[in-house]
Amino acid sequence: MSYRDVFGEILADHHESPRNYGEIQGAITEEGYNPLCGDKVKMFLKLSENAEHTVEACKFEGEGCSICMASASILTERIQGQPAAKVNELIEAFREKMQGKEDVAGLPADDADDDLVALYGIKRFPVRIKCVLLAWTTLKKAINKVPESAGETA
Amino acid sequence: MNELIRRDFPILDRKIENKPFVYLDNAATSQRPKKVIDAMMKYYVHYNANVHRGVYHLSQEATDAFESVRGKIARFIAVASEREIIFTKGTTESINLVAASYGEANVKEGDVIAVTRMEHHANFVPWQQLAKRKKARFEIIGLTPDLRLDPKEIDRVLALKPKILAISLLSNVTGVVNPIASLATRFKMVGSTIVVDAAQGIAHGEVTIDRLGPVDFLAFSSHKICGPTGVGILWGREALLEKMPPYQFGGNMITHVGDLDSEWNELPHKFEAGTPDIAGVIGLGAAIDYFETLGRVRIEEYEHKITSYVLQKIKDIACVKLLGPREALHRAPIFSVAIDGVHAHDLATFLDMQGISVRAGHHCAHPLMFAMKCPATCRASFSFYNTLEEADLFVNALKESQKFFAKKPKSPENGGVKV
Repeated sequence: MSYRDVFGEILADHHESPRNYGEIQGAITEEGYNPLCGDKVKMFLKLSENAEHTVEACKFEGEGCSICMASASILTERIQGQPAAKVNELIEAFREKMQGKEDVAGLPADDADDDLVALYGIKRFPVRIKCVLLAWTTLKKAINKVPESAGETA
Repeated sequence: MNELIRRDFPILDRKIENKPFVYLDNAATSQRPKKVIDAMMKYYVHYNANVHRGVYHLSQEATDAFESVRGKIARFIAVASEREIIFTKGTTESINLVAASYGEANVKEGDVIAVTRMEHHANFVPWQQLAKRKKARFEIIGLTPDLRLDPKEIDRVLALKPKILAISLLSNVTGVVNPIASLATRFKMVGSTIVVDAAQGIAHGEVTIDRLGPVDFLAFSSHKICGPTGVGILWGREALLEKMPPYQFGGNMITHVGDLDSEWNELPHKFEAGTPDIAGVIGLGAAIDYFETLGRVRIEEYEHKITSYVLQKIKDIACVKLLGPREALHRAPIFSVAIDGVHAHDLATFLDMQGISVRAGHHCAHPLMFAMKCPATCRASFSFYNTLEEADLFVNALKESQKFFAKKPKSPENGGVKV
């Protein structure tokens, strides 16, 4: 595996042109910090008033390595319009996948044409997994601030 | 310093990603020569027994081997009394011992405890917390823009007549070497007790107490000078150590235990409760022998050559920001760099893919990194077994990284990671 495979075009693109970067006024916010490497993210989450607590908008701000920033961008892009409980399930499944669990349900296949797949390869660098997961665990905390939205996996 | 020395270190033959292993994280821990590994193995295979206890042959052999290292260390740092050499589990414990025992007994409300902004957490947090417990003032000596101690800041803190000055011999982030002897002389005149963190310093040059001036305590670790992990040294002036209360209680540190009170063993045992890391201490003895055989002055001269070489090469790369002074004088071969547009962790992974091991992060020096508004850097730290060719590999990889991470034209192909 070459370095170009790790930092491929998809991650480079999300790092250089992050989606949903910025703040949302009046949103639920949560900050994540990795004291080991200094990566920081702040997640902004707006949920709808309906029973499903659909994600109306999700943005992020922060500073960190390319993997951390690209991961936050990929995350915010794929959860727009999703019910909060589903997002929680996705976060949990992705966390398990990154921590090495095989055959995790609810995620794109390893050969799928999906930006999320670009993050799977970071598993090869165990110390960088926390860079990938920072935005995800932080978003989960934001969702859990609205207890009734968190669903079964909360 | 040549290929012969590299042969003493079996690990240097390793390959990483099919490329030669270039180890540039010596400030975190050094590698061990075969002689150190053999000495520890010999203890476990031939004379493993506890020390200071048994009357049988093996226990005596183990005790003799263990205690002989105390003498080696005393000679290594040029002090007369072995009673002043205390074995701990590392620099961190050595400093905590002084803060907890000496600090607890001597610092009073309103006293000043001084550190510098370049301290490692191990020589910062114990003093900060002592100051908090005692309601003492905690003062931090600030730095110049090139991250040396600021003379104005030294004067400011000197005027406060600190009870304790805790200072490192050299910075683990910038490689800046502090003028300990002149500082110690000045602070001694205002009555300070001077604690020196030599975790980094001990590996780069001839660290002896006579050359450090009127300092009172010196802390360092075995694993930075090619010895095993898990062993540290605290040297302290006998008059101070005698008066200090024990730091931990248990076996070996007592002479008599009664139902209601106990009496403490003599120095250095008073501060060595419990079974020590016997194999580790024996390994440290072999490491010190190894250092003495190579010659510390020779090591220092060679490392100075590496320092000058790397500084010269880095100077030519526009995108590399080097922390600290750009002159080789009073600088150890430790280089913290930041590259425009490349995060330290991305850079470290990039280097790792080429077999080059460096440290990325805050280097356990938050107060320094925050002051520089720099959350993370990539640090390459050299030892006497590193070569100029390795320095070239490092510098070239820095150049490559900036090209690699520079904005790339977008293309729909090459979709990233192949799992």
